[in-house]
Amino acid sequence: MSGLRTEEFLVNMGPHHPATHGVCRLLLTMDGERVLHIEPYIGYLHRSIEKICENRTYAQCIPILDRFEYITAMSCNYTFALAVEKLAGIVPPERAEYLRVIMLELNRISSHLLWYGSIALDLGAITPFLYGFRERELIMDLFEMTCGQRLTFNYIRVGGVSRDIPAEFVPKCREAIATITEKMSDYEGLLNENPIWMARLKGVGVLTSEMAIAYGVSGPSLRGSGVKYDLRKNDPYSIYDRFDFDIPTGQNGDSYDRYIVRLKEIKQSLKIITQALDGLPAGDFKAKVPGVFKPAAGEVYSRIENSRGELGVYVLSDGTTKPVRVKTRGGSYNQLQVLPEIGKGLLIADIVAIMASLDIIMPEVDR
Amino acid sequence: MTRDAVKAYIAATFGDQMTLLETGRYDPFYRIEPGNLLTLCQKLRDDDRLKFDYLCNLGGTDTGTNFEVVYSLASIAQNHRLDFKFSLPYEGAEVESVQTIWPGANWFEREMWELYGINIRNHGNLKRFLLPDDWNQGHPMRKNWNAPDFIRLPEILA
Repeated sequence: MSGLRTEEFLVNMGPHHPATHGVCRLLLTMDGERVLHIEPYIGYLHRSIEKICENRTYAQCIPILDRFEYITAMSCNYTFALAVEKLAGIVPPERAEYLRVIMLELNRISSHLLWYGSIALDLGAITPFLYGFRERELIMDLFEMTCGQRLTFNYIRVGGVSRDIPAEFVPKCREAIATITEKMSDYEGLLNENPIWMARLKGVGVLTSEMAIAYGVSGPSLRGSGVKYDLRKNDPYSIYDRFDFDIPTGQNGDSYDRYIVRLKEIKQSLKIITQALDGLPAGDFKAKVPGVFKPAAGEVYSRIENSRGELGVYVLSDGTTKPVRVKTRGGSYNQLQVLPEIGKGLLIADIVAIMASLDIIMPEVDR
Repeated sequence: MTRDAVKAYIAATFGDQMTLLETGRYDPFYRIEPGNLLTLCQKLRDDDRLKFDYLCNLGGTDTGTNFEVVYSLASIAQNHRLDFKFSLPYEGAEVESVQTIWPGANWFEREMWELYGINIRNHGNLKRFLLPDDWNQGHPMRKNWNAPDFIRLPEILA
């Protein structure tokens, strides 16, 4: 074979590639089958949400931020509402806090179910996708019943929530929890010990805990590397300190551990919702917030634990009806930054597995 | 450490370099001098009691009179948080990159450079990534950049 000329070549993966979960272009430098270098090109979904928010009143920002990370729009609503409540010193009523926790956790489960389907689809298994979407539908129905929307909710507002839950919500929600709890064994049975699944994920894309922390990786991807850090426990917001739940972690930091952590998180979320439904008090669902709302001048960075990691928002107020600056930060932004580091030297098929296991979605990166 | 303990420790150790801001809500919020940025960040990360090993957020702000750069830090090891910021003039705004301390700062700084036109020293990869490749209309996050709610479609589309 001597004298055969070999050279590196470039492969464009995306922008419209089903495994990039949105429109993201990865420019791969290849040596035969091996990936030598990855350069992500983002911005295809950039809508400049931050600039739009600067021209809106605080109440008008919330439906805009729904579009920031639309898979878990409840969290986007909540993190902004939390920041503004800290600025204005508003304390939401008990019932509102319980309703928020129920919605946030339902949204986390629906996001993880979507992810469960899409990672399997990326790796060539179609059945989990159907399973995941089947149960996700139950949660979507609950959201639709509550706020009329299935994707962009505009439900959690400054001072509380936009409306109370209907009477049939609690029984329906308990039914959904029972169904998902039962189906969890199906999810695990289908993939956990599956030899193809393990071959595709075990030891692929190892993210050490040091690297994860240095690059600002958060959420299940950080916990998959063995770092027990969950903002619901470590920087408690709302009423999470009242509930009993565990933080699942992995040891190896590979794609398989991240997968296991996410599946275990669904169970913990189910546990939290059950406790919240049991303890749901009667009363107001919204604190009194003036129609022309002007929080005092000040600034705050508030952060919550989203299904993809730390969802933060920095709000700067000058005491007028509109924020001076809204800076959003999503988990995917940092997870995509670390992809070139952990994807080096692997195959393209592994890049797909890593990207799916980090649970990157592009609207959160591009904003 | 609790928020009050962080405040007390910072006042005792870095009191000459960090001024507590009244405008900050919830977590401690400080103002620093841009010249101290790198040495201070290094100390904040390496200090045994503080150990700010995690960069949550980094972003520019246009207040209407000048730029501000806000850094939000967290410590996973010690479980506490703080923010700090400093002001920059519009003309020749420039900051030092903190990638050597927190590598995750890369894209945050790149975004700040692109959307605000704040130059980053020693960044190494200042390339456009959020805006279109052929963008030539300045820095859209600046307050003097007009963002109209309604845009007239070009004749050919109307």
